[in-house]
Amino acid sequence: MSRNVERAESLARILDVNYNRTVDRNAAGRERAARVWRSVFDIAGIVVDPELLEGASLASAAFERCTFSTEHRTSIVSCIRIARSNALSVRAELSTEVWECLNGLYLFVEAQSPRSVAREGPSSFLRSVRDTAQAFGGIVDATVSHEDEWNFLQIGRYLERSAMTARILRNHDFGDESAHEYQRLLEMCCASEPFAKAQRLSSDPYEALSFLFLHRSFPRSIRFCTHEVDRALHRITETPMGAYSNEAERVTGRLSAMLDFVQIGEILDEGGDRFASRIAERADAIGLAIQSSYFPRIPVG
Amino acid sequence: MQPLLDRYRRVDFFDEFADSQGVPRAHYAGLAETLRTIDIAEFHHRVDLVNSVLLQRGVTFTVYSDSRGTERILPFDLIPRIVPGGEWSLIKRGIAQRVLALNAFLGDVYGPQRILREGRMPAEMVFSSKFFNREMIGVRVPRDVYIHVSGVDLIRGRDGTYYVLEDNLRTPSGISYVLENRDVLKRSFPRLFENYAPRPVDDYPRRLLDALRYSAPPGVSDPTVVLLTPGIYNSAYFEHTVLARRMGIELVEGNDLLVHENVVFMKTTKGLQRVDVIYRRIDDDYLDPLAFKPDSSLGVVGLMNAYRAGSVTIANAVGTGVADDKAIYPFVPEIIRFYLDEEPILPNVPTYDCTDDVQRRHVTSHLDELVVKNTNQSGGYGMLMGPSSTALERAQFKDAIEANPRDFIAQPIIPLSCHPTVFGDTLAPRHIDLRPFVLMNEEVDVPPTALTRVALTEGSLVVNSSQGGGSKDTWILED
Repeated sequence: MSRNVERAESLARILDVNYNRTVDRNAAGRERAARVWRSVFDIAGIVVDPELLEGASLASAAFERCTFSTEHRTSIVSCIRIARSNALSVRAELSTEVWECLNGLYLFVEAQSPRSVAREGPSSFLRSVRDTAQAFGGIVDATVSHEDEWNFLQIGRYLERSAMTARILRNHDFGDESAHEYQRLLEMCCASEPFAKAQRLSSDPYEALSFLFLHRSFPRSIRFCTHEVDRALHRITETPMGAYSNEAERVTGRLSAMLDFVQIGEILDEGGDRFASRIAERADAIGLAIQSSYFPRIPVG
Repeated sequence: MQPLLDRYRRVDFFDEFADSQGVPRAHYAGLAETLRTIDIAEFHHRVDLVNSVLLQRGVTFTVYSDSRGTERILPFDLIPRIVPGGEWSLIKRGIAQRVLALNAFLGDVYGPQRILREGRMPAEMVFSSKFFNREMIGVRVPRDVYIHVSGVDLIRGRDGTYYVLEDNLRTPSGISYVLENRDVLKRSFPRLFENYAPRPVDDYPRRLLDALRYSAPPGVSDPTVVLLTPGIYNSAYFEHTVLARRMGIELVEGNDLLVHENVVFMKTTKGLQRVDVIYRRIDDDYLDPLAFKPDSSLGVVGLMNAYRAGSVTIANAVGTGVADDKAIYPFVPEIIRFYLDEEPILPNVPTYDCTDDVQRRHVTSHLDELVVKNTNQSGGYGMLMGPSSTALERAQFKDAIEANPRDFIAQPIIPLSCHPTVFGDTLAPRHIDLRPFVLMNEEVDVPPTALTRVALTEGSLVVNSSQGGGSKDTWILED
């Protein structure tokens, strides 16, 4: 459930950032825009015909598939439907506030039509989704006891977030060191202002990558998210940090320790995109391990 | 459907949008095409959307004279102003030249005073300026940069010529509207951009930070830059927060800083941190109660001593006001010739010097057709618009001019250019100006960021936000 809400939030933000950044760009920018929209499909986990990728109306195609498509189970609409049906099945465990927030988001999204959103420009729709999904996280933290059910919600949220940051980085063109491209990368990860604050030289690409992969306290860096998953798992079994009592804890702990000690130089030597791919795969493996440790028969939500 | 554009009628001024036959100019043709497909009702809907977004973001300013709720949105007119690439490159060269010359002028009047000793302009004009700061004489500022940031006001006359109206070398504001207007317009009305790719404006904070870092005191390789604000009651506080946030620097008030042994420190939860560059959005007079107004609580005790000792950069430098004093303005073309040995690229508006007897007599006998400005005031305060003034006002100004001629200049009324602006259910021509923002890095840096201000009242020539002006998004095109 929290995994899908998180995903809808990220997707809304990514679409909004890219849409906004392609409105006032020149011809060279338009070519770049085509590349941007192609990468959005991969970030969103949506497989499409290669033919479509060469088409002229790439932006609107990407937008359609990532928002209202019910064929793709990773579109915004699908994520929210799945989250709501998960919520229904554990309704008794959830606070009323959490349920109403999610149900409200569901009703809002279902009431939109692609046509009305297209007419208005997608920004206000995407921002509503983003804001409500972010509020969902706050309501969960403030109204659900920080016991097992909350820990599982944390795991879903941070696992998805680390995978999303990894997919964004996997699609980043590491050869393009323009300020514009780095700014876009940071904005997709909600990191533009936090990064400017953390780094005095906000135009250093190397620092930006380090921030997204390895920052200790930025809540969307891969390292931070992996730590959160690790901690939540250990809170559930009360196993001390650094030890493990099941497969999920072992694979998470291993990834977490690696991220604590790897250096950005090593990551870039391997190839930032390859490293990011590897992280995305690990996140999936962690998801499977959690599923087999705790929910052998139901999908992780 | 009733398209908005159908009702546009140009008037007898330079019209940015349409030529003398009423046909849209080439660089507006794409916008005209889009506007023909937009219905009035739709337009009103967008206006509501934009206003609610601006209000939610808190893009507001304070009007000092308004005793009711003083926080307001600066009215934002959705029809963008478009500047073609060719015009922009002329503007860019013209204002860069001006700022470079004025920067040299400041270094000179606070240093060797060559221009005065060689008699190229009257020394008493400089020394009588309220903004000439004796504390600054003999002070070497880092990298010789005085004017880190300026906002040069340009207007266009009846034939479309760009004139420089004011130089604004102290703490010019308005850049946050440039940034926010673009962002909000893109989000709320993407259709307007259909045929255009204006130059992006979002690079400005980075370029400003680069310029500020460049001006750090010698020997500092990784300077700490802060933005000094007078606080939440200042009319431009929103702008201060936007810039600090986007640059990732600390927003501080006077009591967050202290000076110890001529070094400026910022108080933080982890102790004191040395500050190297202060981007101040507070007037000279309030910077340091020891040096200037003793009752000011906005400044930092001892700051001027630290500044004179060279341990901190203040941007813009203290005392830059002498170079944008309205009484010095008539000499700017001469200043350009003197320091750069070039002819001015952009002309000044003709200006009467009231300290000259002949010119003063002309001014006082033609008050009804001139605009008179007080040299000690700005922001549209202390101004007489001749044609719309009352006899009483003219008499008061006449007495004031006779009593203190140094405090006034007069200019013929320049009929500012007009631009289609939404007014109720119609598009109507309204007067506009243009304020590009200029930075001083290793060279003068002119980012494609300019504020267009618009006088929303029919016939009004006053565009200041404090006097009922609004703003427009300004699209600067590629060459």
